[in-house]
Amino acid sequence: MSIDRRTVLKSGSLAMAASALPWVARAQSPALRRSLRAVMQADLRSFDPVWTTAAITGYHAAMIYDTLFGIDGEMKPRPQMVSDYGVSDDKLTYTFKLRDGLAFSDGSPVTAADCVASMRRWAARDTGGQILFKYVADTPVKDDRTFQLVLRERYGLVLETLGKTSNSLWIMRRREAETDPTQQISELVGSGPFVFNKDATKVGVAYVYDRNPNYRPRPEAPSGTTGGKVVKLDRVVWENMIDEETAVSALQAGEIDFYETPPLELLGRLQSDRNIKVEVLNKLGNVGFIRLNWLHPPFDNRKAREAMLYLVNQSDIMKATFGNEEYYRTCASLFGCGTDMENDENTGWFKSAPDLKKAAQLFKEAGYDGRPVVILQPTNLAMPNMAAQLLADWLSRAGVKAELAPSDWGGVVARRAVTAPPGQGGWNIFVSWNPASTFASPILFPGHIANGRKGFFGWPDDETHERLRVDWTMAETVAERQAIARRMQANAWNFVPHVLAGQWVAPVAHRTDVRGFVPVPDLVPFWNVEKV
Amino acid sequence: MLKFAFDRLCSIAVVMVIAALLVFLLIHLAPGDPAAIIAGDNATTEQVAALRHTLGLEDPLPLQFVRWAGAVLGGDLGVSIFSGAPVLGLIVQRLEPTVSLALLTMLVAVVLAVSVGVLAAAKAGSLIDRTVMVFAVLGFSVPVFVVGYFLIYVFSITLRWLPVQGYTPIAEGVRPWLEHLILPAVTLGLAYVALIARITRAAMLDVLAEDYVRTARAKGVTPGRVLLKHALRNAGVPIVTIIGIGVALLIGGVVITETVFNLPGVGRLVVDAISKRDYPIIQGVTLVFSGVYVVVNLLIDLSYALIDPRVSYK
Repeated sequence: MSIDRRTVLKSGSLAMAASALPWVARAQSPALRRSLRAVMQADLRSFDPVWTTAAITGYHAAMIYDTLFGIDGEMKPRPQMVSDYGVSDDKLTYTFKLRDGLAFSDGSPVTAADCVASMRRWAARDTGGQILFKYVADTPVKDDRTFQLVLRERYGLVLETLGKTSNSLWIMRRREAETDPTQQISELVGSGPFVFNKDATKVGVAYVYDRNPNYRPRPEAPSGTTGGKVVKLDRVVWENMIDEETAVSALQAGEIDFYETPPLELLGRLQSDRNIKVEVLNKLGNVGFIRLNWLHPPFDNRKAREAMLYLVNQSDIMKATFGNEEYYRTCASLFGCGTDMENDENTGWFKSAPDLKKAAQLFKEAGYDGRPVVILQPTNLAMPNMAAQLLADWLSRAGVKAELAPSDWGGVVARRAVTAPPGQGGWNIFVSWNPASTFASPILFPGHIANGRKGFFGWPDDETHERLRVDWTMAETVAERQAIARRMQANAWNFVPHVLAGQWVAPVAHRTDVRGFVPVPDLVPFWNVEKV
Repeated sequence: MLKFAFDRLCSIAVVMVIAALLVFLLIHLAPGDPAAIIAGDNATTEQVAALRHTLGLEDPLPLQFVRWAGAVLGGDLGVSIFSGAPVLGLIVQRLEPTVSLALLTMLVAVVLAVSVGVLAAAKAGSLIDRTVMVFAVLGFSVPVFVVGYFLIYVFSITLRWLPVQGYTPIAEGVRPWLEHLILPAVTLGLAYVALIARITRAAMLDVLAEDYVRTARAKGVTPGRVLLKHALRNAGVPIVTIIGIGVALLIGGVVITETVFNLPGVGRLVVDAISKRDYPIIQGVTLVFSGVYVVVNLLIDLSYALIDPRVSYK
């Protein structure tokens, strides 16, 4: 018997094709048609959305829990688990009635007692909830489906706080909701659109959510976190994939369907793949900010903080980090751009910045004495890392001795809490970011707090600002809030709580056979999503 | 021999205590505060302080160490700060992918490297020898992740023969298990092939220059028998030593390879834990890795006497 070259080539080709079959089968198996695999922004570290404010835990909560109110696409609060609600004439008593037939995934009905217990636990930890509960006198349960929120004095943000999309009020069973808020809950039972599949989940590897057969969506079309949360998938799996290059390859190979945070430098590769769609879901995006330490020189002096307004070139930070202008913009508003509260009050500095000469002059007027300015530099996060390096350069050019303190983000998070002088383990500058939707609220973004050492890192202190924050919460209309926001901004850019670094959006990438994502700030919801 | 083994076991206990102390100190003295990370980016100073108190992170370091060491001696490596799961359970859960990858890598590396090394020595100075050496330099110089991305691009994205990432337990079938491990094992194995092949070649060349090899050849022993029976066995000690060092180096390589290929092994577990400052997991995994390293070294030492009868532990 003889074998010629052609036979060998033919056999080889067939063998190669046969060896590829299992791969093809894996990609197209009918069993996987209604299952979606996603790589999210971070590993799910904790399952309790009250215990931690980590964004990914909020995503997890949105899968398995529901909220009393939500925020629609126009950023207005609308009832979600609540069917009817009313406010007394004196605006001190809010009465809420739950929708008929709401049930937890274990089959037990959702009661008013569950809602009150959930609300109280959440209010013990969440900043917005804490402020709301300063005004709450009582939360009486009227019947199984009705409860009230009785206020001591009027508060203008009751529904907005109950429906907010970050660190939301998730309704749990009473038995979990009565857990000490400083301890994590152990049972994950909600009344949301999905059920957490504990058995199939491997912590740190993959988190599995199955469709909740007991869930009853509202009849309206989905809008923001309100309306019908109709589940069109049987299963959603969040894969924990650290390596960005691997995640991009896995998306291209069809091993995953959705990638929340594809690196911008690899977007071109994804955009050139006809099986992949790149789109921006969160149109408001994020606002970067440069936090200044008020406790130590030079930024304990107002002139030095004002100098930073003239020193920073937002465009350079954004360009160095994101490259493509399609995804970033510069912004001078204390409340972020594109938000309800955006305004141009007291932004003359923005028109002339960057102005290094002016910045140098202001540092001189501040009495800068040549001591090093310590900038915390998280080398594992692109934007703060770039911003820190650029700040060091700009400060040097303005005659200020800058010293970078590199570490990972964990190191920055630890060091920014240190109140000691920079030479003794403290700091002068760190850079971070927050969702623009949160940035727009003087209540929800902790960086807007200016009550000194009790507040957010940097510890700015300004009585007028604090008084205006209270006024803002009391306002009953958006127009009134906007007017107060203008006054806050006019004052803030005089005392300078922080400096803005720019605003950007982060596109997501998914297979073209996946569609139906509802745009929501601070969240990627998987209801309404389907594989076609 | 038995006395030697007993002495080494005693020294292992001392090494492990020192390792435990170092692991504890290094982790607790490194910058990073789990309370601040757990509390989230929007937590205020007051909220972080309250959480630190709840987690017992304000206790003096010696007290924390005594508490931890006592529990470890009782077989309790603690629980994850974040998930609340027992660390020992998490390590056991992640062992299969790591052990599978390590064994397959060493199998590929040892079989391939020793063969190539012996061949290069037998054909010293030839084109084969030079090719092997060029390959060895390349294999040792190119970083693991570059090799990994290259193989993914060729075999997963372009040819679509193998999966990009992930792991299937062997219980679900040998074929899918192997499919998920081929690329990681080749990626990781390449550096070891290069390392072991170079040492094998050098050791073989030394032995092949010995008088007894010349005598064997003069007696008419076949070249294959000279290489495998007379030369390779006598070159065994440096080869086994380098394989032992390779196993130790493998621990670092596994961490990178598991990250690139998204294998849910112990390496990934510790990388995740480091980024979260999940102290109990970092301590537990480092302690286990230290134990593996020490035991591998002991086995290598003991194997010398088996390979080379001239080595005695009396």
